[in-house]
Amino acid sequence: MAGYESGLKVTQMTLALNLVIALLLGPLMAGVVRKFVRARLHSRQGPPVLQPFYDICKLLGKEDLRSSSSPIVDFAPIVVMAATITAALLTPMGMRSPLAGHGDLIVFVNLVTIAVVGTVMVGLSSASPYSLIGAAREIMMHIMVEPVLVICLIVAAVKAQSLLFWHMAEGATAGGMSISMVIATIAMLMAMQAQIGKQPFDIAEAETEVMGGAFVELSGPRLALFQWASFARQIVYASMLAAIFIPWGIDLAPPWNLGAHLLKLLGVYVLVGIVDVVHPRIRVEQAIKFFVIIIVLSLIGLGLAIGGY
Amino acid sequence: MTTQELATQLQERFDAEQGEPDGLASPGWLSVTVCSDRLLDAIRWLWEDAGYRFLISAGSDLRRERGKYLVTNLFAQDEHGIYLAVHTEVDPEQPSIPSITPIVPAANWTERELRDMIGVVPEGHPDPRRLVLADDWPEDLYPLRWDVEHGIKPPPSDCQVPREPPPEGSSVVPLGPYFPSLEEPAYFRLFVEGEEVVGADYRGFYNHRGIEKMGCSVLTYNQIPFIAERICGICGCVHSTAYCQAVERAAGIEIPERAKYIRTIMLELERMQSHLLWLGIAGHIVGFDTVLMQTWRMREPIMWLSEKLSGNRRVYGGNIIGGVRLDIPTEVHQDVLDMLDKLETEWKALYKSIPGDTSLMARLRGTGVLPHELAVERCVVGPTARGSGVAIDTRLDHPYAAYDRLEFEKCVHDGCDNLSRTLVRLDETLVSIGLIRQALQQMPDGPILTQIDEDIPGGFEGFSGVEAPRGEVVHWVLTGDENRPTRWRPRAPTYANLQVVPPMLKGSQLADAPINIASFDPCFSCTDRMEVVDMRTDDEYD
Repeated sequence: MAGYESGLKVTQMTLALNLVIALLLGPLMAGVVRKFVRARLHSRQGPPVLQPFYDICKLLGKEDLRSSSSPIVDFAPIVVMAATITAALLTPMGMRSPLAGHGDLIVFVNLVTIAVVGTVMVGLSSASPYSLIGAAREIMMHIMVEPVLVICLIVAAVKAQSLLFWHMAEGATAGGMSISMVIATIAMLMAMQAQIGKQPFDIAEAETEVMGGAFVELSGPRLALFQWASFARQIVYASMLAAIFIPWGIDLAPPWNLGAHLLKLLGVYVLVGIVDVVHPRIRVEQAIKFFVIIIVLSLIGLGLAIGGY
Repeated sequence: MTTQELATQLQERFDAEQGEPDGLASPGWLSVTVCSDRLLDAIRWLWEDAGYRFLISAGSDLRRERGKYLVTNLFAQDEHGIYLAVHTEVDPEQPSIPSITPIVPAANWTERELRDMIGVVPEGHPDPRRLVLADDWPEDLYPLRWDVEHGIKPPPSDCQVPREPPPEGSSVVPLGPYFPSLEEPAYFRLFVEGEEVVGADYRGFYNHRGIEKMGCSVLTYNQIPFIAERICGICGCVHSTAYCQAVERAAGIEIPERAKYIRTIMLELERMQSHLLWLGIAGHIVGFDTVLMQTWRMREPIMWLSEKLSGNRRVYGGNIIGGVRLDIPTEVHQDVLDMLDKLETEWKALYKSIPGDTSLMARLRGTGVLPHELAVERCVVGPTARGSGVAIDTRLDHPYAAYDRLEFEKCVHDGCDNLSRTLVRLDETLVSIGLIRQALQQMPDGPILTQIDEDIPGGFEGFSGVEAPRGEVVHWVLTGDENRPTRWRPRAPTYANLQVVPPMLKGSQLADAPINIASFDPCFSCTDRMEVVDMRTDDEYD
């Protein structure tokens, strides 16, 4: 019984930890990158580090205006937020994830897809042509990028002989780097850039082309939820990348394993931020061509992993 | 061919008489009158055989002076350096003239404007819609007739806006009425299938400010430069320079040498800041905000320098008829040179890095193709033309100010795409740096303003082209008696360039539409001066 209780305690602690990381560290990291990477490379002062929080708070306090009576607009933001938070609870963030034993790779991929589908549904429920185009682009990008994500995670699963993320993370750390994992890491980085809508893949929301795409008709609290979920989603992907594909530090004693994770997260964010700043947006068909190559690359990685490399 | 030979030819072929009294009787300028029966023949010969480029037409109400309307078509021959004005008198009882648009497609807008503003109907014009006037503006009220007062406001009324229906199977994606990435009033309706643009409809002229009417009814000669500069928010100096040169030509005023050099320097400063501004916006449009931030940072010292010279962040208020009002004293020369050195270093580094940026090249190369033939046919100007291999540059073809004494070359690229237009502007900025250095070195001492003691006589015409950052600005002036022109007709370069956008957009990707439009560096407010419009895909009148 003692073991069960201590296990419960760990779960409660990591539950709180993952929630804090996803909901609070997400916007904070975005603010840090905006201020110290993006603005510096632009020769600008940049907004305050806490600006993402100010934005969210301001939007949450606004009147709930809506342009469509569709019930989708009521539920989608909540569903997207809930799916993202659940995905965050499945993700190892320095320590064993709170839902580690309750969901695996397949659940995670489904949760991620639910979040994207929610966004697409909101876009399609509006009559604005920008919104429709944005939704179409969002789904096109997702169709190209999701396979990369799945294949890369399967590579890690094959290496660890388990579909549970915690096993993958531990297995990767214990086993060290292999050729297949290096390939998967590279593919995963590319996929992440697209999943979180950073340049050169800011295609679905392209401000100067489709005015924010699927979100163009949203405002107030609903927009705030989408933005917040988007910050959380970034940290989920970054954590996944940091925990499984950068195999270092996870076996350190607490709280050093958490510290190592945060350090890796910062590295991933800075890298993503730099790539974002030095690229223009490419067109959707150029992105699709690009990801066909990445899918082939990650399949090669998978083949190597199955072959034991 | 000299202007004298041209006059003889036109006389023999089309009974064209040289105008009198004539402010244009100097080398490089010619003004003739052709009767309306021979007009089409004359235009066809000029356009098809003699290699003339259409600029603009102007309608003037001369019922008080001569009992006629006057329609003036302006042409340029760039090889021989000739500007030609072809006048046709129109009887007020029968206000119509054969339309030249079927021969010269570039005359489409200006002939519709003629119908809207003066009420002279171009017979046989393919597009019956209004161009400039609002759709609910009363019939039979023609703003530029002398007996229509300045500042009248007819009450608004309900009316049907004639919009082009989208082709079957396509949906409409609006860009505007407030152009989202250039923050100006312009309304493109893109007809889209999936991600492909299959057609476009343009509606503009929302920003009419009645500037021409004001110039011909309220202001005096020396007040107009102030208003002319405000035609454009970015390149104002080109308009006041072109206006002043046109009036100076009409009145036969010779301006001091030093003033010519100062005008040159002001114009080149303006070109540099405008090209930097454009590059930044182009970067922003393709989602490359780093380009926006860095080019605008590089642009800032030019603005500071302008402020030092003129008191404004752009060189405003410098021009006046007879010369310039602001001097560039020797103490400031070093500041200018320092600014140029810094800009040149940074600009060269930027220039070097662009071809190496594969994702930027993927957005620019091969997109927004404006074929050479289309560019020639629609008489586009400036970097838009030079990016399609049309080697025209007013500074060299029809020299003004001090350009004939400076050494430089035309920047021409023949890729016909967004990349070529970008490279033209990158090159031109370096050329501008060289031009300012030369001008500062050569600038003679002396007065900057010719005193004008006598009134400017009425009934003369003057006409001047200036190479603005966006292309050739043309101002045509007919002097009048009340210390103001009878007719003043400015043409912004975007007026010529914008007409080619709908045919060019056809077949492009939706994602490329904003950068394709922006690659022309359109300035909607310059073009509008006046009131409402439509534009169509080319197949409607082809």
